[in-house]
Amino acid sequence: MTKRSYTTVNPCIMCQPMGSALAFKGIESTMVIYHGSQGCSTYMRLHLAHHFREPVDIASSSLSEKGAVYGGRENLKKGLRNVINRYQPRVIGVATTCLAETIGDDVPAIIREFKEEEEIGDDPKKDIIIIPVSTPSYGESHVSGYIKTLEAVVRNFAENQGKGRAIKIPNGKINLITVESLSPADVREIKEILEFTAENYIFLPDISETFDAPLRDDFPKIAPGGTLLSEIEDMPNSLASLGLGIVSKNLAMEFLEGNYSVPGHGVPIPIGLSNTDNFFTKLVNILSCSIPEKYQKERGRLLDAMVDVHKYLYGVKAAVYGDPDMVFSLTTFLLEIGMHPVLVATGSKSRDFGMKIRQIFKEIRPELEPVVLDGIDFDSLNDAVSNCSPDILIGNSNGRYIAKDRDIPLVRVGLPIHDRVGAQRILTVGYRGALELLDRITNAILEATDTFTSPVQAKPATYTSKVTEEECIEGMK
Amino acid sequence: MTENTGLVDTLEERQPYIARKQENGQIIPLACDNNSLAGAISQRACVYSGARVVLNPITDAIHLVHGPIGCAGYTWDIRGAKSSGVETNRSSFSTDMKELDVIFGGEDKLSNAIDELVGLYTPPVILVYSTCIVGVIGDDIEAVCKMASMKHNIPVIPVKSEGFKGNKSDGYKAACDALKQLIKRPQKEKTAENKPEISYEIMKPRINILGDFNVAGDVWLIKPLFEQMGIEVLVSLTGDSTVESISRASEADLNLVQCSGSMTYLAKWMQKEYGIPYLTVSFFGIEDISIALRKTAEYFGSEDIKEKAEEILEIETNRITPEISRVRERVKGKKAAIYMGGPAKALTLIKGFSELGMDVVIIGTQTGQKEDYEQISYSVRNGTVIVDDANPLELAELLVKQKADLMVAGVKERFIAYKLGVAFCDFNHDRVVKFEGFDGFVNFAREVDTSINSPVWKSIRQRVLKPETISSGKEAVKEKISEEPHAKEYKIMAVEPELLYLNIDVAAKNQISGEASR
Repeated sequence: MTKRSYTTVNPCIMCQPMGSALAFKGIESTMVIYHGSQGCSTYMRLHLAHHFREPVDIASSSLSEKGAVYGGRENLKKGLRNVINRYQPRVIGVATTCLAETIGDDVPAIIREFKEEEEIGDDPKKDIIIIPVSTPSYGESHVSGYIKTLEAVVRNFAENQGKGRAIKIPNGKINLITVESLSPADVREIKEILEFTAENYIFLPDISETFDAPLRDDFPKIAPGGTLLSEIEDMPNSLASLGLGIVSKNLAMEFLEGNYSVPGHGVPIPIGLSNTDNFFTKLVNILSCSIPEKYQKERGRLLDAMVDVHKYLYGVKAAVYGDPDMVFSLTTFLLEIGMHPVLVATGSKSRDFGMKIRQIFKEIRPELEPVVLDGIDFDSLNDAVSNCSPDILIGNSNGRYIAKDRDIPLVRVGLPIHDRVGAQRILTVGYRGALELLDRITNAILEATDTFTSPVQAKPATYTSKVTEEECIEGMK
Repeated sequence: MTENTGLVDTLEERQPYIARKQENGQIIPLACDNNSLAGAISQRACVYSGARVVLNPITDAIHLVHGPIGCAGYTWDIRGAKSSGVETNRSSFSTDMKELDVIFGGEDKLSNAIDELVGLYTPPVILVYSTCIVGVIGDDIEAVCKMASMKHNIPVIPVKSEGFKGNKSDGYKAACDALKQLIKRPQKEKTAENKPEISYEIMKPRINILGDFNVAGDVWLIKPLFEQMGIEVLVSLTGDSTVESISRASEADLNLVQCSGSMTYLAKWMQKEYGIPYLTVSFFGIEDISIALRKTAEYFGSEDIKEKAEEILEIETNRITPEISRVRERVKGKKAAIYMGGPAKALTLIKGFSELGMDVVIIGTQTGQKEDYEQISYSVRNGTVIVDDANPLELAELLVKQKADLMVAGVKERFIAYKLGVAFCDFNHDRVVKFEGFDGFVNFAREVDTSINSPVWKSIRQRVLKPETISSGKEAVKEKISEEPHAKEYKIMAVEPELLYLNIDVAAKNQISGEASR
């Protein structure tokens, strides 16, 4: 048994700057620069390119030894200048790395200085907006990097706009803000739901095009798509915010509520029946509309499918791992369809995670006793899997070693998925997402147990009673 | 004449790093070997990465990254280096430094982590990589490693790879410095001065292969060739190596250096320290493999070995030639772009492509030095663009301007090529197919063929559906799915294989004579 207190073996989280890039990449015409050494940007580009199968350009201030000793001011300014020169972005996200944080660079001050030197103002219509986020790798995880970045973006635009506290001009829109990166397919699905319900909505951040770009005639320097800047600016004027994710704090939503009185409603990421029901309920309550027939039908189809597969799934032991909110929503769904999540784990350190997971067990299947872990690495997950002996793993592709070792199926969801194609198109949200997930899980189990080709009931004698070769030949005579 | 301004639309400071070869025999002065430009989006990684990629294939070592979680996370099992035994190297070990460790120092955590890992895994060695932050807060990892080494009686070796202290090449050097500590002094003292007279007619010669990382199992196609020649391969550094096999590297009679960028430093050290000479070789492509085997046989001087080498070369070349010729017919005249981490691979690819009848139109590396670019510019044909430390926008523009049909590079470049409708072949960590040796070259040729000649390139020509082109008659459709290769319109450029071969021969001869005079 590997009881470790000082070493992390096979991490289940990524570092904060990566989460930051994920969030920034969902904003219109945005480039990201990491303030730190060259390697950080290359590794994270590799990580994301591998997952989304898209080119991912992230700049670096390429700090050298000199920069580390005398400060990275000049490097960062030069980096910003070069990025502006080559990419002409409308927004530049500056995420710090552990190096920049530790040498104590005051990034906001450097940016102020840079803006003065280059005569860059604060008007998003004509000026380049530069948004710093403090994301040292030694703090928390990519999840916090993602959340912090969205808050920084919303705050930056709101405060620029609201200089002198402009009066709120209600726009009747609904803000949708996620706490974890959904897949491009997920974002598309939620946007489609909003098209059919809300007349106007703002989805932040929208990676549906930027990380799943169609092949086109030209090759734009920055992938088109992303949340429009004018919309981000407009977020403080919205009717309400709907936050996806309830385990992690939705800082952007809280900011809008606290500073601009935009009521925030947190719901779980809509994976599975009850979470999607919850999402729709909140949505129609805010908008005072009805649920479109299209989704009633999709819901009905999901119910139909759940009935179809209930026998295959009942009591099947699952281990689910990944980012906290996704794991929470997945767990809810697994419980709804009768599976037994014996092990529920996240790599992030989270006080609320265990509490929320136990709560959902209590609501749906109080008789079950799951093992709930937070702040795990894959080595400790492996130990836990050994203890719990699940029949199936559900999580990102880094669990493949464990799945292979134990010869159990792995249903890939989350990030990263480096060993299969289509990560950007994995749909889990909404009734359709639930349906797809249900099919994938069921089929993975069927594939593993092979229920169709090896009959479990009374086996015909011809298949079971062993006949020797001689007897066979004898019989043929 | 060098034309190095305005070749592509890029930053002024980047212009000296891009040049086009204009004249025969011309050596292009190219800026290189500098720190990457801030904001230019270099494809390079950091010092740590350089060290990690070199050392990671040591299969039974614990590779412990002393730093925050990211550095270990992004390098977890990315190397694709195969092992024939244990696979400790495929796990990612990190001290996962948090804010408090940064404030109060991470030495205690590191020391405890080492104790813990020794207890859990009893590894033969622990390699401790330092990261950016360690360099800033000043953890004395050397002292911690020394103490741990004494305490546990195994080598605990610090790898000085603070990310910001240089570039990837400095990481190679840090890795070699770590390897030095693993190589034990041989039983029988052997130095440059008292080199014993050995007749290789009687004694089986022993070699090391330096700079082969056994990606996808490459080494397993190379070792048998030498064994058939009656040469024992002691260890390949670092592909499929173990601490034990590395420790015996000093007993070799000769080092063959493949990845010269990372391993020449170590080879020179071994020459000085243990009197082991080295030859720079490549095991990719028929020509380079032939040179490698002949040079090695030549070095040992034994007629028996020379004969065996010729025998192997004849049998193997005859065996794969039909398949290579078949592919050659399908890909000849196509234009290739090469963007590699190290220059050795780039150079050998030039020859590989000429064996397939293809032209190299772009060639670049992340870490090439002056001499490397000289050799590269010697080996390529006129019109080829040479680039150091390229960035995505430059690569994209070059691919279009140079009308490349295929790009050979790594994952980050793959999707640039794909977006432009250019075929791609991964010659980096990610490939799962062996490319070295005779069968490896067949694999490579087939991959080039399957990518270039895939019908998808025809399908994606029309990126926006225009119903009128479909409905205007069957001919239009027929033309669209004709069997012609996709890059038909690029075929204008004349192919002069003789010229290419000429240059390469000169380059190869130079290399041989250069080695001999050493």
